[in-house]
Amino acid sequence: MFLGTIGRVTAVWRYVLKRLLLALPVLLGVSVVVFVAIRLIPGDPAQIMAGQAATEEVVRQIRQSLGLDRPLPVQYLYFLRNVVRGDLGRSLFNGAPVVEELGQRFPRTVRLALASMVVASVIGIPAGILAATRHLSWVDTLVMLVALVGVSMPVFWLGLNLILVFSVRLQWLPAFGYETWRHLLLPSVTLGAASAAIVARMTRSAMLEVLGQDYIRTARAKGLAERVVVNRHALRNALIPVVTVLGLQLGTLLSGAVLTETVFAWPGIGRLLVDAVLARDYPIIQGATLLIAATFVALNLAVDVLYGLLDPRIRYE
Amino acid sequence: MRSFLLVSVAAVLALAAGLPAASGPATPAPRPGGTLIIGRGVDSVTLSPYASASPDAEVISHVAETLYQLTPEGRIEPLLAERLPHVSPDGRSMTIPLRRGIRFHDGTPFDATAVKWNFDFILNPENRAPFRAILLGEVTSVDVVDAYTVRLNLRRPFVPLLAHLTHDFLAIHSPTAVQRAGGMRPPTGEPYGRQPVGTGPFRFREWVRGDRIVLERNPDYWGPRKPFLDQVVFRAIPDDGARVLALEGGQIHVAVRVPPRETTRLALNRALRIDRTSSVRTIYIAFNNQKPPFTDARVRQAFNHAVNKRAIVQTVLGGAARVSDAPISPGIVGYSPIQPGGWPYDVERAKRLLAEAGHGGGLNVTLLHPTGRYVQDAAVAAAVQAQLRAAGINARLQTMEWAAYLSFTNQPVDRTPVEMFMLGWGTVTGDADYGLFSLFHSSQWAPAGFNRFFYRNPQVDQLLEEARAITDPARRAATYKQAMELIWRDAPWLFLHSESQVTGLRREVQGLVVHPTERVLAHTAWLAR
Repeated sequence: MFLGTIGRVTAVWRYVLKRLLLALPVLLGVSVVVFVAIRLIPGDPAQIMAGQAATEEVVRQIRQSLGLDRPLPVQYLYFLRNVVRGDLGRSLFNGAPVVEELGQRFPRTVRLALASMVVASVIGIPAGILAATRHLSWVDTLVMLVALVGVSMPVFWLGLNLILVFSVRLQWLPAFGYETWRHLLLPSVTLGAASAAIVARMTRSAMLEVLGQDYIRTARAKGLAERVVVNRHALRNALIPVVTVLGLQLGTLLSGAVLTETVFAWPGIGRLLVDAVLARDYPIIQGATLLIAATFVALNLAVDVLYGLLDPRIRYE
Repeated sequence: MRSFLLVSVAAVLALAAGLPAASGPATPAPRPGGTLIIGRGVDSVTLSPYASASPDAEVISHVAETLYQLTPEGRIEPLLAERLPHVSPDGRSMTIPLRRGIRFHDGTPFDATAVKWNFDFILNPENRAPFRAILLGEVTSVDVVDAYTVRLNLRRPFVPLLAHLTHDFLAIHSPTAVQRAGGMRPPTGEPYGRQPVGTGPFRFREWVRGDRIVLERNPDYWGPRKPFLDQVVFRAIPDDGARVLALEGGQIHVAVRVPPRETTRLALNRALRIDRTSSVRTIYIAFNNQKPPFTDARVRQAFNHAVNKRAIVQTVLGGAARVSDAPISPGIVGYSPIQPGGWPYDVERAKRLLAEAGHGGGLNVTLLHPTGRYVQDAAVAAAVQAQLRAAGINARLQTMEWAAYLSFTNQPVDRTPVEMFMLGWGTVTGDADYGLFSLFHSSQWAPAGFNRFFYRNPQVDQLLEEARAITDPARRAATYKQAMELIWRDAPWLFLHSESQVTGLRREVQGLVVHPTERVLAHTAWLAR
């Protein structure tokens, strides 16, 4: 038993290590694609920086000072060399180090994303369980209807309406800013609403599937209380696909909820990225994309490891 | 020595009176204290001489001051300078007396050495200050005459320089503070650009990028009008709707760029006030003057007759604009109206002109326009398209994201595929030279300059060159008027309108100035109870 546990722990670490090594080519690929793609779209960062009134001479000077006049492969190699040294360059637009910008913006997005995940889980999972245990009743129909509305609602529409009600009319919560938990409420509900709906639907269908299994019938036949059957026997098994969905949702939320961040003036990574694309701020785009790709890879890995904890039958290979 | 007579003596007195352009009805005495929060769509990029846009300029203007200032009415007044400059008889040097006894926020004395240091920094080509060529292009060197007098030496007589000295990008920063911060590096003046130190009524306190810039009152301000507010905060709230809601909810006091569709609703809110101040930004649709059919002036004139500018301003822009009656807008030194009301809307005349030019059977063109850069730009383009149809012109609309748009419209004449495109031009120096020479002089053809529509009229060229050296304001204005009449008749553009800045304010905000150069100025603002 004890040896078996050790063996399993070692297997987990070997698995994690292997996955991390596999992540390197993924990130390299992402960096190449992003590097080339942003340079293929029309629009010259030097021209944008210099402003529409600048002369060609000024634009040329800026291009030169930024190293944008060098051949692409050379630029890429410089970029790669610096990345290895932990230097993502400086923003073309405001001159700030990219690492510093990301370091400021990313934690804010993480805070928002985690809060939204809490909203999604706290609302989504119980709602899904409720709908599954009251299958085909009016409760089920209502939950699924609300979920459909939740998924379909445009984020900016929901966000502006929440501001209208809670900031303008009731004056309970601030409309923008990110300093305290009160600032966090409206944006996290806005951002978490769609995820909550997805989680509710996922939980419901997973629960329905599990509740039809033989071992549930056995549990019920043993005379266990329905609550015990649902919570201990059904839920744990039903949660596996839900965890996958939550993991992927978190990835999406972390990659920057641009609309939510825009509506609530939340200076996170999503807004940074969109502003950077509009300004052709290459170093910021590259740095942010790499960070987001790395986040996705890490989350996928975390989800896969979590699988094993939830379901001992799953093996790490 | 001849003295500059660009402004009247009365104008100088107006400085002391303050310029509450956006204040409401008569109010009690100003109340000191409080924090004013200004919500705007974008954050600043840098607060150093490397700035390149009005969101930078408006913050700098509170912290660092210029030698002269441009009033909202378009007058030039001394600020850090003691009085207007003296120009040498040959027009090639400008001597400026400075105010005494002023200190920067860090205690460094303000004097001729500090001014020279600032100008020398911008003049040094190695520093690559983006506005060097535009603002100080004609200045060769700066001399310290004595502790409180500087002399600017010019390549050739260049009268617009006085207006240029009012520009926030030529504000005087503390040389010691720049050094202490670690200097200024291109392209954006880092690291000093994040913590400016000047002589202004407010001191820089904090900047959280993408979120807010906080300024605090300078208790030792030298000027006759001390600031009232304890703090001024500029908050970046990119979404128009959210910014307006934040104003309604009272979380900000001022919302800049209120979308026209919101104004009717906001006007019903008694806690708010809407300010409409015209801007020096002119919106136009340029023709490629070297590409048929636009080589024919009759075609260009026909387009101007075919579009009902007033209807566009009233309906599409909700009245938040002014139909152009000249290539530049009021408030600019050298402006005069050329045709009040703009080119007359006359579809029949448009059709006749097109027929005369051999296009009686109709015309197909492509109209390029940005989306989201100017107020309702895409909607304006659609309205123009609809109106051109009545004159037998079939315009195909094409839009592009801004960065691509800038490059696309900036190609040399032999390569550009552009036929018609919409753009705006802000005469931010406040002088006609910047609004006319940069656009209509034939030396400014793209990509070297901003004449992206390849207009050439030797007579206009000559007048614009002459005007640069005329010191007598009346004669100078007359020369510009002559040039503008020629431009107007040649119609290298479809003249549209100049934008108004629509600003939402809470009732308690008093004394705030919305400047035509697209800056919200809280220098003498205060909050009533």
